[in-house]
Amino acid sequence: MQAYESTFNSIEGGFRRLLVAVWDLSPAYYGTALLLIAAFIFRPMLLSEAFFWVILRQAAPLGMVVLGQSMVMRCLSIDLSIGGTVLAVNYIASGPYLSAYPGYLIVLACLGLGSIIGAINGALITRFRGSAVIITLAMTIISIGVVVAFARYTPPGDVPSLIRYFGSGRFGRIPIAPVIWIGFVIPAALALRRTVFGHYLDAVGSNPNAAAFSGIPHLRVIFLTHVFSGLTAAIGGLLLAGFVGTGSTDAGIGQDMILNSIAAVILGGVTFGGGRGRILGPAVGAFMLTFVFNFLTSFGFEESGKLMMQGLIIAVAAMIDGLKKR
Amino acid sequence: MRGFTVKLYSRSGLSLNTLALPVVLIIVLTTTARGFASWENLSNLSSQIAALVIVSLGQMMVALVAGLDLSVGSVISLVTCVIATEGGPLMLTVPLSLAIGVAVGLVNGWGVAFLGIHPIVMTLSSMTFLQGATFVWQSIPGGHVPAILSEIGAGQTMEVPHSLLWSALCAVALAVVLNRSRFGLHLFAVGGNSVSARLNGVAARRITVSAYVVCSVLAVIAGLYLAARIASGDPKIGASFGIDSVTAIALGGTQLSGGIGGVASAVIGALSLGLISNGMNLLGVSPFLQSAAKGVLLVVVICAQRRKSVGL
Repeated sequence: MQAYESTFNSIEGGFRRLLVAVWDLSPAYYGTALLLIAAFIFRPMLLSEAFFWVILRQAAPLGMVVLGQSMVMRCLSIDLSIGGTVLAVNYIASGPYLSAYPGYLIVLACLGLGSIIGAINGALITRFRGSAVIITLAMTIISIGVVVAFARYTPPGDVPSLIRYFGSGRFGRIPIAPVIWIGFVIPAALALRRTVFGHYLDAVGSNPNAAAFSGIPHLRVIFLTHVFSGLTAAIGGLLLAGFVGTGSTDAGIGQDMILNSIAAVILGGVTFGGGRGRILGPAVGAFMLTFVFNFLTSFGFEESGKLMMQGLIIAVAAMIDGLKKR
Repeated sequence: MRGFTVKLYSRSGLSLNTLALPVVLIIVLTTTARGFASWENLSNLSSQIAALVIVSLGQMMVALVAGLDLSVGSVISLVTCVIATEGGPLMLTVPLSLAIGVAVGLVNGWGVAFLGIHPIVMTLSSMTFLQGATFVWQSIPGGHVPAILSEIGAGQTMEVPHSLLWSALCAVALAVVLNRSRFGLHLFAVGGNSVSARLNGVAARRITVSAYVVCSVLAVIAGLYLAARIASGDPKIGASFGIDSVTAIALGGTQLSGGIGGVASAVIGALSLGLISNGMNLLGVSPFLQSAAKGVLLVVVICAQRRKSVGL
């Protein structure tokens, strides 16, 4: 805060505080506002209520993944393994191995798998001090390799109806997937503000060495965030599988989520460490990205244009953040 | 692990483990995989790993200043497509490719050194942007590469495959830069401790930017080589090079936290990784399990590199 306040030193009182507050907002809020204005001018039909629910449902899988990623990135780590987790969950939910069991057991198996992948990441990162980037990227490569090798002999089928219900069902007009998402976001936001663990997270993120010297179990905090990220990646994967309905052996499933989740977190104002940014910012970032891709599709952009846009959005968000920090 | 490591020359990153790995692999493969030691397979191996050697050299430069460049793969893909443009003369496409490389390096380096963006975020975003640009240029494999480039890339002179010359030339050039120039010395200084390097009058930020430029230019050269070898453009050919090059330099003993590494470690690492792939091919391991095995290998190697910080 102090760093920005000096920018507005020449301005007086309450107005200054307002300016500081607006300046302090993360790029996700500006971006969403700009997008909504652009949509209002060029594509008013994107602003209808029905379409709002469609976008929210599409954003839910990414939003779940972003929730975990934002926790991990807060404490100076990163989780690039979510792409592999999403693919593995997709295969387990639709593959032949568990199809004889009831839906809730399959869901539990997927959540268990996500947590285990997260725990392996966390253990390798905290105990062996491996670079999180490399460890989690390698984990994605391993998951993809194993799943694709298995899927060649036993291709996936349909997703169980329970998972399809979560992914694409509705209460009246309201889709269920975003309700699940928000059902995780609000407790997480409260936990970050109110619980000891939330303060530990802030402390580890701002300065890991200081946190360690103050007796905070910083390794355990980082480990737990990775387990949490594995869990949210599995939930995101389940929502995505339920939304699509059938399994796929396409190794590309979930790959775009890796980058999108990082983009949403940066847009949401959480950078590596620093203890800044909350839970809501990244969630708005996830909504904004989903809206951007729909907006681009409505202009006839293809995959290539979307990739370029995605790269630009991340770069610009990171640059804004870099400039603010200076 | 630590007790068995013999430090030969600490700054180079080489240790008994990293040196022994390719030797052990060669011995194992000569005895188990039939046809490994044949001239044909060795020449094949050389052409398979040349691009990886060149990219790893660049990745090592960035790793020396504690960075990481994941955009090399997209640069390679884009370059093969630029070179394979129908009717494009090499006089035009080669300088264009090099200009792209310099521009990408400048942007990456500027973001990392001057704006303080984390290398992963910066290079992931440029990787994504360039992959999109590559698809705009050419969406499916195809195109045509001038015959002369194919000859330079895939031919032989007196039984020596040209691929060997490509890697050797790049390695020697980089060895001279690293060991005989002021820039090389400054790279190690910035990687070792950027704050004290700056206090001693090293233009740390400019050195970092230069490292990224060198890395991208080497990726361009690897792209030229690959375009020559496959005689066409492929918008996805580079996809695995980002992570493979990181695996290679880590295998060779280059520390990703900066300051420790060298040409020998990059070459030995790329050779080890190439031998592993070549051996698994000869032994008939499924390509998907091969990539999983490489992932496991990467985890093991990275965990064996002890470092102080936790996280990124």
